[in-house]
Amino acid sequence: MTTVTDIAPTAPAKHRAEVATALPPARGQSFLKLVTIELRKSVNTRSGRVLIAAILLIAAVAITWQLTHLPEGPAGFDGFLGAASTGVMLILPVIGVMAMTSEWTQRTALTTFTLSPRRVRVQLAKFVSAIVLSVVVMTAVVLLAFAGTALAGAVTDHTTSYGGLGGQLAGAYLTVALNVVMGAAFGAVIAQTAVAILVYFIAPTAWSLAGPALFKDNANWLDVFGAFGRIAERDLHGMLPETLTAIGVWIVVPTIVGLWASSRREVK
Amino acid sequence: MITVENLTKRYGGTTAVHDVSFTVQPGSITGFLGPNGAGKSTTLRMLTGLTPPTSGTATITGKRYADLPNPGRVVGVMLDAAAQHPGRTGRETLLLNASLLGVPKGRADEMLEAVGLTDAAKRRVGQYSLGMRQRLGIASALLGDPAVLILDEPANGMDPEGIRWMRGLLHDFAARGGTVILSSHLLGEVQATVDRLVVIGGGRIVADCSLEELLAGTGTLVRGLDPIGLNQALTAAGLDLEPLQDGALRVDATAEQVGRAAAAAGQILLELRESDGAGLEDLFFQLTTPTAVAA
Repeated sequence: MTTVTDIAPTAPAKHRAEVATALPPARGQSFLKLVTIELRKSVNTRSGRVLIAAILLIAAVAITWQLTHLPEGPAGFDGFLGAASTGVMLILPVIGVMAMTSEWTQRTALTTFTLSPRRVRVQLAKFVSAIVLSVVVMTAVVLLAFAGTALAGAVTDHTTSYGGLGGQLAGAYLTVALNVVMGAAFGAVIAQTAVAILVYFIAPTAWSLAGPALFKDNANWLDVFGAFGRIAERDLHGMLPETLTAIGVWIVVPTIVGLWASSRREVK
Repeated sequence: MITVENLTKRYGGTTAVHDVSFTVQPGSITGFLGPNGAGKSTTLRMLTGLTPPTSGTATITGKRYADLPNPGRVVGVMLDAAAQHPGRTGRETLLLNASLLGVPKGRADEMLEAVGLTDAAKRRVGQYSLGMRQRLGIASALLGDPAVLILDEPANGMDPEGIRWMRGLLHDFAARGGTVILSSHLLGEVQATVDRLVVIGGGRIVADCSLEELLAGTGTLVRGLDPIGLNQALTAAGLDLEPLQDGALRVDATAEQVGRAAAAAGQILLELRESDGAGLEDLFFQLTTPTAVAA
């Protein structure tokens, strides 16, 4: 018969040790703090890191391919940026979707909304964090594109061309930010990761394919990719109402509905 | 201090929680018991702002949960330890919450040590056992050094060492003036841990008193060398008794009365004690069966 020993992991009073009195006073959660926490959440999980690594890897591969398959004439930065952005445009919005849905799918909503009961603030912080993340990742891709262009100039006998740099960069950042926000809007209203991602990829594309066939020019009112394109070019072609409507229907409405629904949704 | 007043929750035509009121005082541990579907979890969720009540109020230290600027510093909540992201490490989960609560990083490491997870801290939560996730949940609840703890099934998945450690931790917490409400189905453990009980059945409170009051008078357990003779002797002495499956008898009387009655009839006793164990479980069923609740 073994002797009975009390083998508690540690002294029971440890959780309220002397340091308890040294904790800083409780303060509210500022919006900036909420955004920082959401940013941290998108990169501190294995899935988040894998997605970002995938984006950068695809960009690197695309740039390498571009380097080895340069068309005639100067090696333009825009070519490299375009090639590298494919991965970004496809995957970053998924991160946007997941920022909103993974709380519900992984059930971490229980912890998140217990620690921060004012849900609308948390959801808005998720939007802002998704935009910030997209800017950071886009910047990394832009740097890779610069490296690719410079390498092309140094290693091959092409000259390099950085023409229209400002416009391309603005366009790239705007497009990716808009796509990510739309992904997040879909994630807000469809609280299930897989379904939200599917709908995100299918719905706007389906409209831009079917819309013009069904509604001719009126399809422009709901053509969100057209709207994105015009915003990226910073030239609305006089289609301000169509642009606003498309953005309103595809981004603003899902966001508002999603924010309202998630505030009322029961967390189980 | 937790105050629940006339809390009601209706889902369409069904009333899940009906006019529930109770108070939990500082320095005490209250057990919140009830069958599955009785409205326990719904009440706890209304207390923590996760489910909006249909009517009534629930306040913690005088404020509604959603009105607390940083609730984790006042109330430590653990409702479901499995609701943690499997892709994060244990340490990162706590560091994240520490940052949100505004407590220094060292506090997260302290809590990891307090719950015995220091070795597993750098592993992903997805690789944790249920007991480890439970410990992580407790560590997270204690991170902000709260004055109140709201725990749902805290001993779930824990081994005996963990259960005993949890009991010690809660007793210490209450001894220092903390308020604890815990919900559990492990009636034996509840009995060893709590001072008060609130029992909910069919959405209504069916008991709200101290553990002693509830268990007082559940009688005496007696086992005799001659079970039939003992039964006859006690019945002849006018005592109410109930035979149990293992041959013992539960008598609605004090140990002294039983002893005297048995001695008067020359019956030899093998066991004579308070029948506490069976008491809470039977009381639980008495309180929460549908006929009792409808009354």
